[in-house]
Amino acid sequence: MRFLRRLGQLLMVAPPILVIGVFVGFPIAISAIYTLGHLGGPNSAVSAIGLHQVSTKGLFTLKVYKDVFAERNFQASLVASVWVTVVSVAVVLVLSWAIALYAWRTRSRLGRALTALAVVPMFIPVVIASYSILQFFSYGGFVKTVASALGMPHFPTLGYSLQLVVIAEIWVSVPFGVLMISSGLGGIPPSAFEAARDVGASVVRATWKILVPMNLLPTVIVTCFTGISVLGSFTVPYLVGPTTPTLLGPEATETFQSFAEPQQAEVMAVALFGLSIIVAVPYIWATYRANRTSRAQAL
Amino acid sequence: MRVETVATTEGPVLTAEGPATRRRPRGSFGGTRLVSIVAVVLLFLFIFGPLLWLLVWAFVGVWHYPALLPQKWSLSWWRQVFNYPSLARSVELSFLFAPTVTALSAVICLPAAYAFARFRIPGRRALMIILFSVNAFPKIGLYITIATLFYALNLMGTFLGVVLIQLLGTIVFMTWIPTAAFAAVPRSLEEAARDVGASRLRTFFTVTLPLAAPGIFVAMVLAFLASLDEAQGTFLVGIPNYVTMPVQMYSLVSDYPPEAAAVFAVLLSVPSVVLMLLVRKHVMGGSLARGFQV
Repeated sequence: MRFLRRLGQLLMVAPPILVIGVFVGFPIAISAIYTLGHLGGPNSAVSAIGLHQVSTKGLFTLKVYKDVFAERNFQASLVASVWVTVVSVAVVLVLSWAIALYAWRTRSRLGRALTALAVVPMFIPVVIASYSILQFFSYGGFVKTVASALGMPHFPTLGYSLQLVVIAEIWVSVPFGVLMISSGLGGIPPSAFEAARDVGASVVRATWKILVPMNLLPTVIVTCFTGISVLGSFTVPYLVGPTTPTLLGPEATETFQSFAEPQQAEVMAVALFGLSIIVAVPYIWATYRANRTSRAQAL
Repeated sequence: MRVETVATTEGPVLTAEGPATRRRPRGSFGGTRLVSIVAVVLLFLFIFGPLLWLLVWAFVGVWHYPALLPQKWSLSWWRQVFNYPSLARSVELSFLFAPTVTALSAVICLPAAYAFARFRIPGRRALMIILFSVNAFPKIGLYITIATLFYALNLMGTFLGVVLIQLLGTIVFMTWIPTAAFAAVPRSLEEAARDVGASRLRTFFTVTLPLAAPGIFVAMVLAFLASLDEAQGTFLVGIPNYVTMPVQMYSLVSDYPPEAAAVFAVLLSVPSVVLMLLVRKHVMGGSLARGFQV
């Protein structure tokens, strides 16, 4: 009877794991083998259409990786992906903390309105967000029009630049940051912060020394999830960004669709996945740590 | 910063709010009123500016830079877009896929969410992180091999193929957010119901499910929006039979003037905005945030 119940519980968990395993895990494994020079078996359909492929008769070859990493375009896109991600995540963190902290401290209608405002982008399709941001900041857009009305006809336009990619990524990512940080702050008693302020700490210092450590897990979650989503993003850089250098998402897509080099595209995907895993490490560490402390408290 | 703090301490003490020991009223944030107003205006401009700008473009007849407002207003682009042959079809398809994907995702993920929240599943945390981590693999890298798999299974260009590709993006939060929602239901309430003789099933449907409903609702709306929003995979698998709204948007953006794209963008945003108004309260209430901390 107990065995049957355990089996039932495992069966309930199985469907999403199976779907992800079959349609994500399995393809990732196949892709990894493909990048290492194995063109046959499940990869024979892709390799039939691919150009400039490398195959091996041995265990594996790293030649495709070497070739791709030696390419100038790829290097530029890799660097662009990293700095766009770092800047976007940093701004999202500061902005989310500022909004959440303001709402938490003042408990005012204005604070609640700000939070509600910052969550709006979550419900706007990314295609539309990207397109409207492009129109807003590019030539003939709002920023340029207002600047010219104010007597600055040579005001720079940001259309199809990496700066605009950063702006659009921030726009898309701010809701998640604000929701996570303000939800975390909601569980902290104001007295902790007030006490530090009473003994003379500035708002910045009291926040840094008291609130950030108490709200560490949500902060780490925002950092890692925003980082991973910016790194792997496609629509935003594709619509508002330059052709080269671009982020690795559009770069890999272009490599596959326009240059018909699936093997090279997969190498880029694996590189991006590697970066994402590095970004996810703090998240796994923080949840592990949070679990350990809650278990310790329970004892 | 300190100046204002000192100034406010000399104001009348709010006795209604409690003991007069609080030296700084809640309203002071250490910044001046002006700074916060400027910040609000900038944030408003940043979030709503692009959307409002696009909304204006949807009603433009003639608008040459650098005029601040259009020289001529017009509704002609709305007619053009409504007469666009495949538009009605793409709207219809989008609203066929989104509910299908949401329902399928719920059937697959909700039992798992309940199990993750209530039973001792071996390797629970690892499984939940695996669910997410594989989603960190770049979509295009995935789609190249998924395409191979779909060709082999005859799923390319089929309804089921598009449903499956859209489903993948919903699994993570359809599992995580409801898990947190189920876990937040106090066991004591369930036990109380059981003590007065309610069956397991009855307890679940009258106690657990209603209390977890807001979180489940948020997850379902997010799944619906994810399906409505998905373009890259749908393009790859669905073309040419299943061109949904966002896929259509990609071609409109490149083939048509900004007025037409603006009209289409406004149309495409309507369902999202309606859904946002429906779930706003629950999203702000923390149902989503809790989902990432189970």
